[in-house]
Amino acid sequence: MSPKHVEEMYDAVIVGAGAAGLSAALGMLHSPDIERLKDSGIDPKVLVISKLQPLRSHTGSAEGGIAASLSNVEQDDWHWHYYDTVKGGDWLVDQDAAQLLAQYAPQTVVNLERMGVAFSRTDDGHIAQRRFGGHTANFGKAPVRRAAYAADRIGHQILHTLWQQCVAAGVTFAEEWYVTDLVLDEAGTRVAGVVAYDTHTGDVHAVRSRNVLLATGGAGRLFHTTSNSWDLTGDGMALTLAAGLQLEDAEFVQFHPTGLAHTGILLSEAARAEGGVLRNADGEAFMERYAPEHRDLAARDVVSRSIMAEIDAGRGVADPKDPHGPKDCVWLDMTGIDKDHMEQVLPQVVETIRDYANLDPAVDWVPIKPTAHYTMGGIPITTDGEVYRWQPATDGSAGKRVIVEGLYAAGECSCVSVHGANRLGGNSLLDACLFGTRAGASLAARIADAPVDDPMADESASEDEELTAPVDRAAEARKEEVAALLAAADSQDASDSDTDDNPYQLLADLGVAMERAVAVRCTHDTLSTALAQLHDELAPRAQALHAHSDVRVFNQEITAIWEAQHLVALADALLAATQAREESRGSLQRLDYPTRDDEHFLAHSMVDEHHDISWQPVHIVDFPPKAREY
Amino acid sequence: MSGMDVASATVTLRVNRFAPRPERERAARSGSPFGRKSSPFGSSSASARRRPRGKQWTQDYVLHVRPETTVLECLLTVKRTMDPTLAFRYSCGHGMCGSDAVSINGTPTLLCTATVGEWAKHAPAAASIDDEGFRHTGSPETIDSSSSDSNIANAHGDNAADLGVIELAPLPGFPVQRDLIADIDPMLNQITKLAPYLKADGVLATTDEGKINVFEYLQRPEQLAKYEMLSNCIACGVCEGSCPVFAGGDAFIGPAALIAVSRFVNDSRDTATAERLDMIDTADGVAACQSVRACSRHCPRGIDVGEEMWQIVARVRER
Repeated sequence: MSPKHVEEMYDAVIVGAGAAGLSAALGMLHSPDIERLKDSGIDPKVLVISKLQPLRSHTGSAEGGIAASLSNVEQDDWHWHYYDTVKGGDWLVDQDAAQLLAQYAPQTVVNLERMGVAFSRTDDGHIAQRRFGGHTANFGKAPVRRAAYAADRIGHQILHTLWQQCVAAGVTFAEEWYVTDLVLDEAGTRVAGVVAYDTHTGDVHAVRSRNVLLATGGAGRLFHTTSNSWDLTGDGMALTLAAGLQLEDAEFVQFHPTGLAHTGILLSEAARAEGGVLRNADGEAFMERYAPEHRDLAARDVVSRSIMAEIDAGRGVADPKDPHGPKDCVWLDMTGIDKDHMEQVLPQVVETIRDYANLDPAVDWVPIKPTAHYTMGGIPITTDGEVYRWQPATDGSAGKRVIVEGLYAAGECSCVSVHGANRLGGNSLLDACLFGTRAGASLAARIADAPVDDPMADESASEDEELTAPVDRAAEARKEEVAALLAAADSQDASDSDTDDNPYQLLADLGVAMERAVAVRCTHDTLSTALAQLHDELAPRAQALHAHSDVRVFNQEITAIWEAQHLVALADALLAATQAREESRGSLQRLDYPTRDDEHFLAHSMVDEHHDISWQPVHIVDFPPKAREY
Repeated sequence: MSGMDVASATVTLRVNRFAPRPERERAARSGSPFGRKSSPFGSSSASARRRPRGKQWTQDYVLHVRPETTVLECLLTVKRTMDPTLAFRYSCGHGMCGSDAVSINGTPTLLCTATVGEWAKHAPAAASIDDEGFRHTGSPETIDSSSSDSNIANAHGDNAADLGVIELAPLPGFPVQRDLIADIDPMLNQITKLAPYLKADGVLATTDEGKINVFEYLQRPEQLAKYEMLSNCIACGVCEGSCPVFAGGDAFIGPAALIAVSRFVNDSRDTATAERLDMIDTADGVAACQSVRACSRHCPRGIDVGEEMWQIVARVRER
């Protein structure tokens, strides 16, 4: 669906319609500021742009739960949640943000329930909760049931409920529109709008807006093996880099240990919680050697690293679907779990293995390998969702955050730094909903201050001109680019398509290169090799891509070309940031720098598109860094 | 294509393709509804209205795959190695997002859950339906394989096993936009028109002394069980494409919209039951359902849509 017309000027444009984007829309519309504005007869002009149809967001694939110390099942305390989050993130967490996350988690979950989420229930009707890795009582003493869940479909429930509430609130959507540019004003200090490509028609729109919120999700498609949907191409992060802004902690990518080889589809942690055991080519239950205490249920990054160490030592196995392929998997042995029990408590896991591996987990060992799952880093934001530039310390002054006026971000594409170097399960939906709502509320205050439709204001009209010109210029440039991409389809000979490049092939090649260089572990050499390949081969190929059909309607190749270019730019920044961090922390394992180095790297990396890297101190409030042991 | 090994075989994807004519070339619409040629078949005027103008053709792609490969994986291989212009929606790839509903061998289902082994069949079974809704009964010689000369199977395998043909077309009942992409906005519009959101009383639970003691609405597991399955609907449109009433072009709000209503009618927290039942007690609502139950067959979330239709119809009539 597309809006009937594009407004001259918007109060706010939200890019992305997953948990974060929809939470932001609702947080804004339900805020007292906007309610007052509406009471005075002014309707804010808001547009939610999504590259997908409604309800297709990858939020819907989240399975396990959303963490909150509700104490519905056993005693819990938000301070414990706060501590677990800091520790899980290997102390690269901004503790002021993590405190908000833990403190307002119960409120967030209750609000979701009251909006309609079909949570699983306790016998007396409260929201049910289950255990999740790394969530403990009494500051690490014992596991605690903290994850509120809806069978194994919590993401689906939250996504659909948020969308339903947006329907109730009358939110205007531009669906299957792809944002190609984030536009700032001339000085680069204030947002001016976005340029969007309507895939239905192939039209380019200049979307001018006084406020923009990016909620585009992660970038799992940087890697060949990923649990992410095909659409997670890091668009928001790449748009931010292209606008001359920085990314924070881009080097931290979580690999979930048990992706079903070679699909990357997630097999829930619950498979191991119920008794599944990882085995190498010799049949050895190798986790005993790496984590004697927690074995197969150690933290995600620990298990992923152990699996890769086995594979690197030559004890990996080939995917039975590709028996002559690389031995880059290990076995997940679930045969010890009672068959009936397995069907009952792991229905989704069993179904996935049957449907996508054609194996019976009650009888067969299942090939798995770590799968790219979550980007901890992203667009740097304050706890109110405002995007900022990090201005490093100079001789005279301390480093400081300089807010980009009117620009916001939320969800996986952003980094408020509650996840630090490694995210805990159950904290991603919480981050998206909680900080999405907060960003929406802070957006509302700015809108209420100076609404587009304010009958009293005439000065703002001239200020709008400063926003209009750069957006229109960017839109013109994109129109020309689209015409050129389509024209190339016209001129080329269809018969030489064998040797011809296309974005789908490029994405596959990029995924393989990135996986080889940085999946789970890396060294200076693997990073240098990947950077060289990126600069010498992949980036030039990305720039040379063109369409193979000149029909504008649903020309998917056009958006795929931009997605490929976005991923290449993001890969470049990620590799550069990884190269600069000469330590191992959380999800990042440098084989050449195997230990954590708080003296030099207890800091957030801030990288821009020119590989200019500065370091921002971590906010330590309550928990001084110590060794992370489970 | 490292997966070429002894266990693989060839399969032919026979794709119904469509590329709309650019707007400027399109003939001006006839101003009068009486100008349309009448047809003895009731549905043909509806399907003619839904069919945009453009180039229509059938294209074969021959691939070397293992039987357990999904049809979506096949199409992604086509995009990557043979034809980047082929258009189809896809996202999560494992049956949760609901974006890739199409017609496979005439049956609506999801690309990512359908496997080659399950759907490939040998000619002449792959009868195609032409523009007017007739099946070709002869050999499918009209099929033009303009890309099969570039297929990768020829290099390998005259002796490789042939799994047969899989015919792909856009989801029935919706206007085609390009290749396998259909415009499912009519379904989403029907759903949104029926107030698909929880209308609860907004009251916080309190103790006898009036203190708030529970913030969430309480709902016991057996109350949840009454609508939990319905809340799993992913709005893919498979049930709508399977419904002969809806896909046949008659006025019917469709099974997906009724499931959405039923989800709230059966939710103990919702207080708008009477209002919701009124909304679907219309000629194009429950009265249009013919209880064919084709809607149940391929629901990817396992909802027995036909049975649920029956229940909600009964609920409306029993008032």
